[in-house]
Amino acid sequence: MNFRQVFLVLKREFMTRAKSKAFIISTLLIPFGFVAYLALIIGIQFWESQPERQIALVDQSGVLAERIIQLNEERYIDLSAEEIESVREDVMNHNLDGYIVLGEEHILGETRPELIYSGSISITLISGIRSDLREAIREERLARAEVTREVREIFESTVSLESRKLTVTGEEEEDHAEFYSIVGMLLGVVIFTALFMYGSIIMRGVIEEKSNRIIEVIASSIKPIELLTGKILGITALAVTQFVIWTGLIVAISMAAAPIAALIAGDAATAGAAEMEGIDMAGFEIPAIPLSILVAFFFFFVLGYFLYSALFAAIGSAVDSESDTQMLMMPVFIPIFIGFMLNFEVIQNPDSVLSVIGSLIPFTSPINMVSRIAIGTVPAWQLIVSVLLLLLTILGTMMLSARIYRVGILQYGSKAGFKDLARWFRQK
Amino acid sequence: MPVIDVNNVSKSFGSTHAVRNVSFQTEMGRIFGLLGPNGAGKTTMLRMINYIISPDQGTIRINDTPVGSNTQRWIGYLPEERGLYKKMKVGEQLLYLAQLKGLSEKDSRERIRYWLDRFGAIDWVTKEVGELSKGMSQKIQFIATIVHDPDIYIFDEPFSGLDPINSELLKEVILELRSQGKAILFSTHRMEQVEQMCDDICLFNNGRAVLTGNLREIKQSHGENTVILEFQGNSDFLDRLENVRINNRSTNFAEIRILEGTTPRQILQQAMDQAEVQRFQMVEPSLTEIFITTVGEDNINPKELV
Repeated sequence: MNFRQVFLVLKREFMTRAKSKAFIISTLLIPFGFVAYLALIIGIQFWESQPERQIALVDQSGVLAERIIQLNEERYIDLSAEEIESVREDVMNHNLDGYIVLGEEHILGETRPELIYSGSISITLISGIRSDLREAIREERLARAEVTREVREIFESTVSLESRKLTVTGEEEEDHAEFYSIVGMLLGVVIFTALFMYGSIIMRGVIEEKSNRIIEVIASSIKPIELLTGKILGITALAVTQFVIWTGLIVAISMAAAPIAALIAGDAATAGAAEMEGIDMAGFEIPAIPLSILVAFFFFFVLGYFLYSALFAAIGSAVDSESDTQMLMMPVFIPIFIGFMLNFEVIQNPDSVLSVIGSLIPFTSPINMVSRIAIGTVPAWQLIVSVLLLLLTILGTMMLSARIYRVGILQYGSKAGFKDLARWFRQK
Repeated sequence: MPVIDVNNVSKSFGSTHAVRNVSFQTEMGRIFGLLGPNGAGKTTMLRMINYIISPDQGTIRINDTPVGSNTQRWIGYLPEERGLYKKMKVGEQLLYLAQLKGLSEKDSRERIRYWLDRFGAIDWVTKEVGELSKGMSQKIQFIATIVHDPDIYIFDEPFSGLDPINSELLKEVILELRSQGKAILFSTHRMEQVEQMCDDICLFNNGRAVLTGNLREIKQSHGENTVILEFQGNSDFLDRLENVRINNRSTNFAEIRILEGTTPRQILQQAMDQAEVQRFQMVEPSLTEIFITTVGEDNINPKELV
């Protein structure tokens, strides 16, 4: 292989695309879109927590309303003095969101209280009300049973679980298992998408050279394997450039957006309220993702891309137009998709047999291994086996594809099937 | 020493024998014509010489070197299926193609400038090829073929799809290259182009080289066995001629190959009986005639010979 030729192809593939308007626009706009999307999600949760629903309590026992209102003064209003009919009317007119009639029978547990509401009501609100009722009734019953202070304390105590991860070196680490599961899933999705996105770019490039009829001019100057390698490396360089810019821009935009977001969020009180709702204001920033995960991401993405792009190029060489690719795409689409589906298992059980297998098999490992690395610790031997298998398979697919490619690029007219590809592969 | 030396080459695609046991040689300073009907194996042969596909059997040597990446650089190849990157600028595109042929960036730029200037295309440098007219992009395609100043030029059906101006331009360039002592090999199914330009020929039919050699010698060896007849009047007598083959016939013109059993005198007699003869000349057979004689009338589809 002549590396000057490979480099010339690489340079052309990279430059013609990097200079195109579509590339520049997508490179610059996608991070803004991404941050806007994040902000929207956080914003929705944030704003949703603002208007508290008004639930009227019509208390016939005379003891529950007070206890419930203590739990959430904004949500509940004691309308025990009013006629039920007028409360009902208020709910119908949306002056109130709902009402609950409470009585002695509820304290004794004979019947269940009912929430009558109008409009729409969220599951979160219902479960909130349920736990408020449960707590108030329980307290009332405890009070009536005249249990000791000790027993009462037992009931009041809440148990929370904190998790800390023990590292190989025996240190305990602050654990963010949930956060890293999300990161793992996200990176898996990104690689899944990117394999297709950049795979299609290379496939379209090959089809373009065929349909432009320039391929024979090129083939009379350079070996097919050099052309193929140059194309793959060129698009890889393009992809890495795009990802580096995206990562940088997302971090930069997020950092710039954080103070603005804090401003929007307003005073400390509302910020505190938001935090109570389980929204971390720091969520406006991208939390620190360890460099090792980023490195693993780029490493496995590039290897995965080498693996699949050669196949995409072979498919491109076998057809005259993009619309003919569907059937030939199946063997490429299926393993990538399996990797994507397996990733749900990887997120749940990163160390299960299925997850380990997925992260070792070369066709799924670029997706599954990255997610596993993001979530937990992967034994060194598995990493090594995974990478070795991947490298070997890359060699295999490159050779397979190059043999199909070198024949395919000169074929016009007839629609090629798998039999044709097999014949081309064997051709001298 | 031959420039291109094709020795006993065969190539099959599945059950199709595209090229069978073909041998020929080309020399510097001469134009070699590869001719034959469509589907005779010409393009496959040229692709093998260009190291785009490999022969199943036999050897191809260029300047005594087996074909490979090196020999590709000595050749300027204009394929039958030709085109350019539509979205690339003319200058960048030529630079890329010249560099792929091994030229340095500096040399490439000089040569591109020279040829663009010569073809009156220097203003197109920054235009995308997609914006050019068909004739313009054909010129750019020539430049791409010859820009690296190789010693060997291979053109596959070079005149097909060319407008008359570019046809003339290409012919001019080919003849100029010959006078510079370069070796030129082109394929065509148009016999008259070969007669006008070629020094040597190789006739292809069904993958075989059925006739190879110096064009003038080949024609001479067939002798003056053809009558060129121009006349005024009724042409019915042509249909009544026996033991002849009429290759080129119009209202007042005919090219008549005399076969066994008839003489020029008999033909002239019959013509004069019916029409006013303006020209009667014995000439060497046309290449079409030679081709038909060689492969036999039954073995070719006459429609493929235009």
